[in-house]
Amino acid sequence: MATIAKEINNKVGSVSELSPPTLRQAVEKRDHLTQSNGHYYGVKELSLKASDPIKYERFYSKIHSSVLGARESARFVAASPGSREMGECLWGITTAEGDTLAVSTGFLSHTAIFPVAVRYMAANDYDVNDGIEDGDVYGVSDGLTGGVPHPGDFYSFVPICIEGEVVAWAVGINHLMENGAPVAGSWATFSVDTFMDGLVVPPMRTGRKLKQETWWKAMWERRTRAGTMNILDDKMRLAGCAMIHEATHKLIDEFGLDYYKQAIREIVEESRRRVVDNMKSTMVPGTYNGAAFRMAQYKGLQTIWSHADKNTLIHIRASVEPNENGLMVDTEGTSRWGNHAYNATPGATDAALFLGMINSFSHNTKVTAGIELAVQRNYPKGSILNPDNEYTSNANPWAQTVTLNNIGFGAVSRAMFCFGYLEEAFCIDGNWGAWQGQGTAKDGTAYGFTNFEWLGGSARGAWCFKDGEPLAWAAWSQMATIGDAEEFESTVPPMFYLGRKLLPGYFGSGKYRGGPGESAVHWCVEPGKHIGITRPNGGLSSTASVALGMNGAYPGPSSFMISARGTNLDEVNKKGLAPRDARELLEMTDSGELKVDDLQVWKMDCPELSMKNNDLFVDAAGSSGGWGDPLDRDPNAVIEDLNSGVCPDYDFVKEMHGVIAKQTSDGTWTLDQASTDAKRVDLRKKRLSESSNLKDWWAEERDIVQNAAFFPEVGLMYNESLSFDKFRKEFTSFWDLPLEFNVLEG
Amino acid sequence: MSTIAPKGDADQDLILALDAGGTMTDAILVKPDGTFTVGKSISRKDDQQKSYRDSVADAAQSIGLTSETVHSRLAADVYCGTGMLNTILTGDGRKIGLIVTRGFEDLTVMEGGLTYLGQSQAEALHQQLHKHTTPLVDPKNVLGVSERIGGGCYLGEIHLPAGHVLIPLNEEQVRTATKKLIAEECEVIGILFLYSFVDPRHEHQAKLIAEDEIKKAGSSVSVVCSADIAPVAKENSRLKSLMFQCFAAEQVKESLLDVERSAQELGFQGRLLTLLSYGGAVNMDYTRLYETMISGPVGGLIGAQFLANVLDLDNIVTADMGGTSFDVGLIIDRRINIAKSADIAGHRLALPMVELDSAGQGAGSVVWVDEYKRLHVGPDSAGAKVGICLSYDKLTVTDINVALGYVDPNYFLGGQVSLDREKALKALKETVADPLGLDVYEAGAGLLAMINEEMNDLLRTMVASKGYDTHDFTMLYYGGAGPVHMYGFAEGIEFKDVITVPWAAGFSAFGAACAEYMHRYDRGTRALIPNGSSDEHLQSVADEISQAWRDLEKEAFTQMKAEGIDPDTITFRYAVSARYMGQIESFNTALNSGQMSGPADVQNLIEAYEDMYAKVYPEGAKFGAAGYSLTDIHLEAIADKPQPHLIKHELASEEPHQNAFVEARQVFHKDKWVEFNVWEMAELLPGNIVKGPSIIRDPMTTVVIPPDKQMQLDEYLILHYS
Repeated sequence: MATIAKEINNKVGSVSELSPPTLRQAVEKRDHLTQSNGHYYGVKELSLKASDPIKYERFYSKIHSSVLGARESARFVAASPGSREMGECLWGITTAEGDTLAVSTGFLSHTAIFPVAVRYMAANDYDVNDGIEDGDVYGVSDGLTGGVPHPGDFYSFVPICIEGEVVAWAVGINHLMENGAPVAGSWATFSVDTFMDGLVVPPMRTGRKLKQETWWKAMWERRTRAGTMNILDDKMRLAGCAMIHEATHKLIDEFGLDYYKQAIREIVEESRRRVVDNMKSTMVPGTYNGAAFRMAQYKGLQTIWSHADKNTLIHIRASVEPNENGLMVDTEGTSRWGNHAYNATPGATDAALFLGMINSFSHNTKVTAGIELAVQRNYPKGSILNPDNEYTSNANPWAQTVTLNNIGFGAVSRAMFCFGYLEEAFCIDGNWGAWQGQGTAKDGTAYGFTNFEWLGGSARGAWCFKDGEPLAWAAWSQMATIGDAEEFESTVPPMFYLGRKLLPGYFGSGKYRGGPGESAVHWCVEPGKHIGITRPNGGLSSTASVALGMNGAYPGPSSFMISARGTNLDEVNKKGLAPRDARELLEMTDSGELKVDDLQVWKMDCPELSMKNNDLFVDAAGSSGGWGDPLDRDPNAVIEDLNSGVCPDYDFVKEMHGVIAKQTSDGTWTLDQASTDAKRVDLRKKRLSESSNLKDWWAEERDIVQNAAFFPEVGLMYNESLSFDKFRKEFTSFWDLPLEFNVLEG
Repeated sequence: MSTIAPKGDADQDLILALDAGGTMTDAILVKPDGTFTVGKSISRKDDQQKSYRDSVADAAQSIGLTSETVHSRLAADVYCGTGMLNTILTGDGRKIGLIVTRGFEDLTVMEGGLTYLGQSQAEALHQQLHKHTTPLVDPKNVLGVSERIGGGCYLGEIHLPAGHVLIPLNEEQVRTATKKLIAEECEVIGILFLYSFVDPRHEHQAKLIAEDEIKKAGSSVSVVCSADIAPVAKENSRLKSLMFQCFAAEQVKESLLDVERSAQELGFQGRLLTLLSYGGAVNMDYTRLYETMISGPVGGLIGAQFLANVLDLDNIVTADMGGTSFDVGLIIDRRINIAKSADIAGHRLALPMVELDSAGQGAGSVVWVDEYKRLHVGPDSAGAKVGICLSYDKLTVTDINVALGYVDPNYFLGGQVSLDREKALKALKETVADPLGLDVYEAGAGLLAMINEEMNDLLRTMVASKGYDTHDFTMLYYGGAGPVHMYGFAEGIEFKDVITVPWAAGFSAFGAACAEYMHRYDRGTRALIPNGSSDEHLQSVADEISQAWRDLEKEAFTQMKAEGIDPDTITFRYAVSARYMGQIESFNTALNSGQMSGPADVQNLIEAYEDMYAKVYPEGAKFGAAGYSLTDIHLEAIADKPQPHLIKHELASEEPHQNAFVEARQVFHKDKWVEFNVWEMAELLPGNIVKGPSIIRDPMTTVVIPPDKQMQLDEYLILHYS
């Protein structure tokens, strides 16, 4: 009784006088018409909507329900927890040219990259040689030709053809647990170029008639370490695409091809207009600048390939400026690409940038390609966001592009705050984490894995009128959830949870504090022949963006991890006192309760950590920033945080918030208001005494800049950014230096 | 005229079922001659006994009986209430203490990050709207104790087996935690440890220790283990189930027992029953009473299942349109489709629940146009105020039906309430027609078309998203407004048959009367069936399943006997949750028997799984090469309970008797005025065919038959639309 497609016999690309346009011609026509007057496909009048709005809405609701239904049904085929119940999957439908018409729930911003693969296929005449047929299946995981953010995200494209013409694409995406790179897992840390990124697939036909070819199964089995999981995820994507494929054929049968073609263009144009309206009506005009940094530590860790044996401080820079057509995002000044894992492509950059844009401007209209037309982007060629080298590694661009989202989303948040939309503005952060690796069991069974629980959700930063909340959102997906420990634990044989909880004190302080981040303790038990762990993430050795938290508050602390190898855990467990989070582990180590032979706190990417029996791997991620001066925080809220354990360190809050408290015999803290008032006066005086005026500060800093008295990584970073004219002008103008100034020779 | 009759002995010849909704408490009293009557009363949250008594008295009075007489003749009394849901919504439950695996003390605050439950896609997309649900327990009363049991890995026996004790339970920490929770005046203590669904020994050990401390303290605090309440995977959902049971179930049980006492004081000699959220009826001694949280909509699906059996239908799509919502459900192979988890009031529970897709659009939904001239229906609803045509201040769907002539303003509730058609027309003009520059009637017709299409899409999606084909389904409409819109809902979708029933408005309560007495038992497992498994391995799997079923059967006998059920009347249904090895989701796989004695039976199980899977997913989604994994073993225990049955009538002529004809009325249908014949439901006979354009009126609903369509009453008085 299962329903797949009707008879599949619509081949594209045959040539005759009456032939429909090729894919290349379709794209060219779309671009020409759109550029001719600024309206999508040149559509100035929404005539179908105007003449029969009910039919028009009915048409859209059918398209939308097809993708929603695809997700709700197909995701249960998945093998990975991320796809099944977290937000790490998505289905969509696009026009023939790859422009999004509708998307399901899930990680929505991937819609921005649908056109990249389609345009690549058009530009390379896939439909002419050797043709595209209705119900074909294309796999894509390449950043350059497919726009895919990193090879751990895998796309399936299914063309929908009518009478020899591609009229739509059904698309399914999900995040794989393992993608076969030298560094096992989903993000190949320490990758140097694309050849170390794992299974990278430019748009490639892998199946016909809604069924994958047999060889494709072998690819998953032989080129990744989690064949079974990846095959099931592949089947999941295809199952959803098959449902969309069938629904679209029925839709066109019902409404007719002419109505379909006109309506889809009106739908995109309608949503573009609404997005532009939203931008104009919610943002105070101006230029919103932002900068962020991410350290890539390769020196001494990546010695086989000598050209990559260096550290890189990645500089992400953007300005956001509302205008008549929406808004402009200019990233000039961002670092150049490098021989590391963190390079993006324009597609990958779009995927990050549109996280916040869709959240802010598309939630009250149809989520289509309209928003992409409303956001103009400049990703300078040669930068880390748009490399001028086709072999760069794109293994983990998310580790830096999320900060671009923070800058963009944060700019919008600030612009809305300025307008008075207080409930729209909060301290934006995108601090994600995960851990991954490979192992070999005692019986020789090899396996790969990724636990991306801290990719599922993070704390939300403070608002201008209230504290942030723990685990309340995920910048990269509307379906924030970390899944269940019982599910993740079953995917990594020798690693067992000893804790999964909020980390006390792990947030940015302010008048309103950020929501606390999370920490988990994983215990290695009888690892068999081998287990090795690495940990990629976006919150590690990075700033979410400079100046977060907001208005005088502290930003959320970065993520980190701890390896504790060679422990007396058996002894500790007998007492029932195993460490539950990163803080406890460090405290217990300090006190000697937990003995550790090799304790390392990793604030940058770690090389593969080989784990033995009773070793511990502890991580922390997902914190968020505060809002407003910490000395303005309601002292009673500080007391509440002390008593609830959200921030249990009295010495810390005394100096951070100027709150004086007393502890009763049962351990309860109570406020001493008078002493608090006096303490706050003292702290404000101290601030003044430690401050210098802006003029003096500028002069001192200028000396440092002029003399290039930087760490080598900082110097290299400036040199790269100064290679872009716009940044050079800003920088030399601010520091009053000659335009030709360079930090380092050469 | 109606056709329902109970089976039972001569003295207990009536069946009573009540659906206590948010506004009204409906009672359906099924009489031995096949007719039934409906009673109504205002729902009183603070005094359910009175609502119950008033509603039953209303029903009894209409057939000239006293409430006492009715109760003395009852064979079954089923009550679906909202008390437990209200307890959750108002936060007025018992004070909970929780003991959890050390390191998981923040579970109730983190709730897995699920901060968007119940939101539409548009709402969830705007993440500023995400928010946590207020915990049902004070976080300071969640205490960790050291223990760990492993759950096994997805690759099978390459590592430590499921149930392996990694850290023994720290008994002293359990004692300390219990003392602290008693000191905090907790009224109930819940215990949740990781993987207790695989091996509950630590939870049960902790329970004994806690009870010992409670006894020593002279306290009456009760202790509840998650493994006894929801023995299934995923700690976040299991925790929510545990908290619902602790917070609300015990407390609501007392109020339900009050209703039961009322019934018994009025002469009822049996036990009051209520409905499980996944179908089936239990009495108030059921140990997992939180499973009755959502019982109202369940009634409709049980009613549909009842019809499936009577009319010999395998697959049914149900559409229930009431005042505030439109619910779509599925009956597949005569079984109610069950979802593995339920989202209720911002919580996700490990609670099997009848699978329903809902839209916040009912007959009372408000219709409005925004500043971008976009039409909207709902989510606000007029509820009992119906619309502008009665006593609400905004335009509703019912207003449009009245304005266009579908609903007779002088025959609402059989003429007990008079509606104002002119006010409805005026509101339609001002709210919709003028802003959109449309004629008032065209605007109304367009709106109805849009509403019908949206519901039509929901129906399509519900069926298609499961991979089914509508041609294999009979479409059943009910709820007060279901028959009004069925012509539009069904348009363009090809079903095997489209039906409704004369008692559509009370169908959910009717379904409650049809419920069987049923308990469901689950046992977590990690049994693996790799490809090419040896007979020896298959035998071990068969033994495990068989042993689990025998254990569960024993548990069922013990529990149901304690509830007053004769063990000789208990029968069983068997199922497992299975998946391809590596998959995360398991799929409920029904089996024909509880026979599991050897490798051949396991092969039959695999075949049953593949058959079930093929019904849902395309061929390309199959993956038998991966092998199979079992995650849960299920048992349903069913006991005898009196059931209604439909009376089969002799067929009369196709032409309705002239007494059934009421009048001819002008209705603005689609794009023009059309004269509709109006017929009286009670005067129509089996075999009659009512040709469109017609309207069949009834005090509780209106059936619309457009031009070129017809409605035929079959021998059971079911209405078939074609």
